[in-house]
Amino acid sequence: MTENIHSAPQNIYKPAIMKIVARHDEAPGVRTMRLEFQDPAEHEQFKETFRTGMFGLYGIYGEGESTFCVASPETRKEYIECTFRQSGRVTSALASADVGDLVTFRGPYGNRFPIEDFYGKNLLFIAGGIALPPTRSVIWSCLDQREKFGKVTIVYGARTVADLVYKHELEEWQKRDDVDLVLAVDPGGESPDWKHRVGFVPTVLEEAAPSAENCVAVLCGPPIMIKFTLNSLKKLGFEESNVYTTLENRMKCGLGKCGRCNVGSVYVCKEGPVFTAAEVALMPQADL
Amino acid sequence: MTKILYTDKLDNCVERWRSAGLSVIGPVRNANITAYRPVGSAADLELSQILPDRSIKELFFPQTEPMMRYSIKKDAINTEECLPPVGPRIIFGARPCDASGLAIDDPLFGWDYKDEYWFNRRNETVIVSIACTKSDEFCMCTSLKLSPDSTKGSDVLLRPLESGKGWQVEELTDRGREAFKAIAELLTEGAEAAAPTAVVAEKFDADACSEWLRNPENFESRFWKEISVRCIGCGSCTYLCPTCHCFDIQDEGDTFTGIRRKNWDSCSFALFTMHTSGHNPRSTQSARWRQRIMHKFNYFPGKFSANSCSGCGRCTRQCPVDMGITETLQEISKLSQ
Repeated sequence: MTENIHSAPQNIYKPAIMKIVARHDEAPGVRTMRLEFQDPAEHEQFKETFRTGMFGLYGIYGEGESTFCVASPETRKEYIECTFRQSGRVTSALASADVGDLVTFRGPYGNRFPIEDFYGKNLLFIAGGIALPPTRSVIWSCLDQREKFGKVTIVYGARTVADLVYKHELEEWQKRDDVDLVLAVDPGGESPDWKHRVGFVPTVLEEAAPSAENCVAVLCGPPIMIKFTLNSLKKLGFEESNVYTTLENRMKCGLGKCGRCNVGSVYVCKEGPVFTAAEVALMPQADL
Repeated sequence: MTKILYTDKLDNCVERWRSAGLSVIGPVRNANITAYRPVGSAADLELSQILPDRSIKELFFPQTEPMMRYSIKKDAINTEECLPPVGPRIIFGARPCDASGLAIDDPLFGWDYKDEYWFNRRNETVIVSIACTKSDEFCMCTSLKLSPDSTKGSDVLLRPLESGKGWQVEELTDRGREAFKAIAELLTEGAEAAAPTAVVAEKFDADACSEWLRNPENFESRFWKEISVRCIGCGSCTYLCPTCHCFDIQDEGDTFTGIRRKNWDSCSFALFTMHTSGHNPRSTQSARWRQRIMHKFNYFPGKFSANSCSGCGRCTRQCPVDMGITETLQEISKLSQ
């Protein structure tokens, strides 16, 4: 776990104002927005503090704030990208905002993936469904300095072909010969022209059987997928301390005060959201 | 010889403080509820009750408070911060447990990120506590390494005289000394004895409880279900608690103008931790009660080196189903033997 660097002497609850400069529909109900800071000083502060894995609170005044990761990499800090599923009051309001509209952002908060520790190692990224966005931030942060890492494998599964997010980037990764991409959809989720695998992520991962030798795994997905994928990684010989994941608990402040995101004694907003599987194993499992 | 403040001078004190620009706050009884409220004169003060029904926290962390006002125009969003309009103030007649509660929460509101809404009020408030000479069966400060005359969190501590006609004055901080300079000539030097402080029996062994709570095996003990089966999840205990600090952030208004508010929230509520997906990490009342106890006596002391409880006993005293921290910790004390 790393130190938090963000401690400017200002109203900690006051959000930055961001302009939506682009938006893109990824999958049914899932949208990506690219946001730009309006205040250069706030942008500078973001550039100084943002590292891959950190999260923010995105909002629309009158509706509230919602917590999700920064989906863009730490190697591209001119903007913030976020990807979210329209499901509640805030995400519905965000989904109805158009290019040119203004939204609010607080962050970046939390800890990060320590990618310097991954230098020289092989990387295995595993994501399920809407959890590709946090993984994608790390993926690009590494691909933008590709020479520093060994073999890169990405295993990504979604319920159906339509539910795969970042389809254009998946194509790009598919074409790269320095990235090994394994795509899968759940049984029944395939389309007639689907050329990739059919199966759940843990099974597909075990079939792909990436070597655990000198390899770090980054795993993001719904709790049930994480649980089974951790078993698969164990079978493949991965140590828990070499598997990184993120916890996504409900938050209001993001600052360690509002009291709801903790799992046991661990405040996800300050000590997370990035944890190794070894750290997660020490938490009270019933509270996850 | 100690400084003595006689009760018949109290009205003059209130006047002096008010004319020195301090607003005076103290326990006031209104509509059958005693709470810390602004007072105009000493006659407004209700100092005989064991402790006010409502805790002191609402003067620093109100039930609801605006954090910012927003207005949205075609190409601009304007955020106007609403920092608390406090001004210097003095709280006269706080109970030591209430004052301690504030000191317990300071590190929480200050770790890494400083909450101005809390600290602006803390920095402008002088707290004059009165040691307790009465207690009831719910008081439990002594079980938490505090006492009826704890000085933690207070700027001045007053000890009631045996005669009942005033208080010995113990100035504890510069802020307290400064406030008492304004009433210096109303104080008398004297040797009058102070009344004995209240006897508060130890009800549980907090250290043994914390140790039991730290043992991961006890996290899924049947005990949690049994002890919390009566809990109706009303949240009263958390609202009355001087140290419970959980809050929600909500917007009130429309697309053009409105207020973003910080509101009390409670770990007793089912929706508190509910994820968007419908998954709820604390989906049962027993999991939520466990969280409350764990937080106060295991997680919080682990982070901030103090139990998140000052022993005021309000949670138990006013619980509609007669539950409370005391009973739970007494049971844990037994289990840990």
